[in-house]
Amino acid sequence: MIAIQTADVDIGALIAAAKKQGTGAVVVFDGIVRDDGITEMELEAYEEVAAKELEKIAKEATDQFRLLHVDIIHRIGRLTVGENILIIVVSAGHRPEAYAGSRYIIEEIKKGVPIWKKELTKDGGRWVPGEHGHGGGKPR
Amino acid sequence: MTVKIRFFARFRELLGTDIMTDVASGTMFTSLIATIARKNPAGYAAIFDEKGAFYEFVILMKNGKRVELEDAATTPVADGDEIAVFPPVAGG
Repeated sequence: MIAIQTADVDIGALIAAAKKQGTGAVVVFDGIVRDDGITEMELEAYEEVAAKELEKIAKEATDQFRLLHVDIIHRIGRLTVGENILIIVVSAGHRPEAYAGSRYIIEEIKKGVPIWKKELTKDGGRWVPGEHGHGGGKPR
Repeated sequence: MTVKIRFFARFRELLGTDIMTDVASGTMFTSLIATIARKNPAGYAAIFDEKGAFYEFVILMKNGKRVELEDAATTPVADGDEIAVFPPVAGG
């Protein structure tokens, strides 16, 4: 499942579904709203473009690391401390591919998927500065 | 002809989003965005430097495809285009 949505997901169910024939390892990445003195976090996406980018990253990771299954769920809207922001579930025949595939996906999301976070505090809010431009240069 | 402009994140807060606007044929990307952004000096200052050039971190898209900043002044917009303007991404 590749999705941008407000709702949380059942990670246990995703893990169960990721155990395709030939699976030897499942790696789960769960990005969480950290308690940095904030009250909530607000996430915004250019949804149509972000969803296509996630699909592309999932395909690249599948091809490059021989993954058997990929889920990427990025949540948007208002989230409180401790809530899931991003869940990535990958399965592969062996752990090196599963770890590497998971790492590839999160790093690519950070680089180029049009999603933004605003940390809300008692005094207002601050946009989390992006580390990269969208794709960092010419279109991919 | 009519185009839609979508600002995101900090730019959206300053300038709004899903702005439908009528433009003359031959209007270029940069001049269109500058015209819209001038409606709020803080919004303009977030996107353009003092010389009127895009800040290098600004990201432009036309119908979901990246437009390079160096090409924006010579890229015309067409009827029905969706134009997106946003700051560096920070997902994950």
